[in-house]
Order: sequence, then structure tokens, then C-alpha cells
Amino acid sequence: MPNWRNRVLRALWLLLRFALGGVFLYAACLKLRTPWQLFAISVDAYRLLPHWAVVTVARTLPWAELLLGSLLIAGRFLRVATVAASFLLLLFFIAMVRSYASGLSIDCGCFGGGDPISARTLARDGGFLLGSFLLTAITLRRRASARVGPAPRTR
Amino acid sequence: MKLLVFLGLAGLLASAAVPQADSSGKTAGTPGAPITIEVYSDFQCPHCKTLHDEILPRLMNDYVSTGKVYLIYREFPLPNHPYALQAAAYACAAERLGRYEQVASLLFRTQEAWSTSGKIEKAISGGLTPEEMKQLHALAKDPGVDAEVRRDIDLGRKANVTQTPTMIITHRLTQYPVAGVPDYGLLHSLLDAQLAK
Repeated sequence: MPNWRNRVLRALWLLLRFALGGVFLYAACLKLRTPWQLFAISVDAYRLLPHWAVVTVARTLPWAELLLGSLLIAGRFLRVATVAASFLLLLFFIAMVRSYASGLSIDCGCFGGGDPISARTLARDGGFLLGSFLLTAITLRRRASARVGPAPRTR
Repeated sequence: MKLLVFLGLAGLLASAAVPQADSSGKTAGTPGAPITIEVYSDFQCPHCKTLHDEILPRLMNDYVSTGKVYLIYREFPLPNHPYALQAAAYACAAERLGRYEQVASLLFRTQEAWSTSGKIEKAISGGLTPEEMKQLHALAKDPGVDAEVRRDIDLGRKANVTQTPTMIITHRLTQYPVAGVPDYGLLHSLLDAQLAK
């Protein structure tokens, strides 16, 4: 029974890693192939950051997404990558919920333009966030069990 | 004599190479400008009013009048705005009288009043002569005007416009959608980066 459970967890772990890694890579590529000012306009529309921070976020975030996506798919530095991905997705989600609740009719900016914040985009990003939390939990648990090592054999 | 003929020809060629800016109707600037911006707008939308009042005058001054941007106004009345379609029809009718910009400005200036009362004609009557108002009244009911508004809406849908205002910036066949009212500094930076390419 524990063996079966471990297999399911491993399959889920792999699925979440590749799915979330793919989402981050896709989002990064869409932003990087357009001028950074377009993403900056989307970030600025949230009315959360001063101008200098908007420019900094617009110029660095797509590269951070590219790095996170690559790490998740390659399976490197997973503890840091999953925690960072969850933190990033949590920030995005809070910003989106705040804007939606205050009635701002703006683009989400998640995957380029033409994606206004709506119940659908909130459900989608909420799903990403839950998946990321689950992936982080499984990764940390695997790490903890690997550190403890296999149980000693008894006769 | 030869010099005079040469100078005359050079002058003629130069004037032909620089098309004159035009801002009479639903377009502004020179059609051959390196960047084209289509502005999808709804007269009943408060953000469109902000774009019209705060961003477009600066854009006109810095880029349209200098021949860098060709601006096209497109109607995109949203279904949740009950009088927006009618207002768009009045604006398109005004274009046929060569008064689009005046009527568009009046519609935005008096937006709050007619958005609740629905009395669009009353709101724009202050900027036009009684004769023009009579013509406008007739033109607004013209099926051709209605078709023009529907054509703009269809163009917007094809360009994936989902909200107003949306600007579709086209440079060298690449389109960049900008939804909402952008910070002018960022828009300025975007346009300059495209022009520098």
C-alpha cells in the first residue's frame, strides 16, 4: 500500500513539475518576444508599484519565469524553485484578486495582452497556485524522507 | 534658368515625399507613417474619456503631428453600455459632416449627463449649428452609418479586442495590443523603441 501511494505521489510530482514548468516557460516566452514596455504597461495598470519598480519588474520578471520554468522541468534546485514559484504565484494571485475586487478593468498580463482579469483568469491562476503549493509540499516531503534515509532492515 | 528649373523640381519632389497630416475625420496624421495606432473606444466608457482627454492630445502632439504615427479611431461600443452604440452612430454621422473630432470631444465632455439620461442629441447640440444638427439627426439613422459602426466592431473582434479602450499598435506588420489607459511615459518609450528599430 505505501509503495502504491509513493508511485502516485511521484507521478503527481512529475506531472506538476512539467505542467508548472511549462506554464512558466510559456509565460516567459510570450513576454520576451514582445517589447518590455508592453509588459510594463500591464504591470503599471495594477497601480501597485512606483514607476521605477514597474520598469524593474517588467525587465526582470520574464527572465525569472524562464529560469524557474527551466529549473522545474530540469529538476534542479527544486526546493528553492518550488518555493520561489509558489511565492511568485501567490503574489500574482493577490494582485489579481485585489484588482478584480476593486473593479479595475485591466489586462492580467500573465500571458501577454488580450487577457483581462475575470473569474476565469482568477480560477486559472488559483489552480496554478494550488498546484504549486502541492508541488512544494511533495518536494519538501521527498527531501525530508531522503535525508532520513531508508529504514534499517530487520530480521 | 536651369538652376531655377532644378530647384522647382526638387521642391515638387520634396512636397510629394512628405504627405500632409490630416485630422479631419476618424483618422489623424499621415497614412505612410511608420507606426499605425488603432484606438478602439466606447463613448460611454470612463477610461476611454481619460484616454481621449489625457493621452491622445500628447500622442497627437509628439507623434501624429510629426508624421511618426497614423491614428485611426474605431468604434467599439460595449454591450453593457446602453447608449454607446447610439453615440457611436452619432460620431460616425458627424464624420460625414467633417465634424468627427468635435462631436467625439463633446460626447466625452458630456459623457456623465447622457450616460444616465440617454439624451445624446441634446448633449452634442451645443457644438453644432441647427442645420448641422438636422443633418446629423438624419445621418445617424442611415443604414450606412450603422454598417460602419458594425464594421469597426467586427474589426475589433478579429483583433481580439475584449475591453475599451484598446490601442492596437502596428509597426512593420507586427501588432501590439495595449489595453486600458497606459502611462504616457511607457507608451512614449514603446513608440520610440519601435521607431528606433
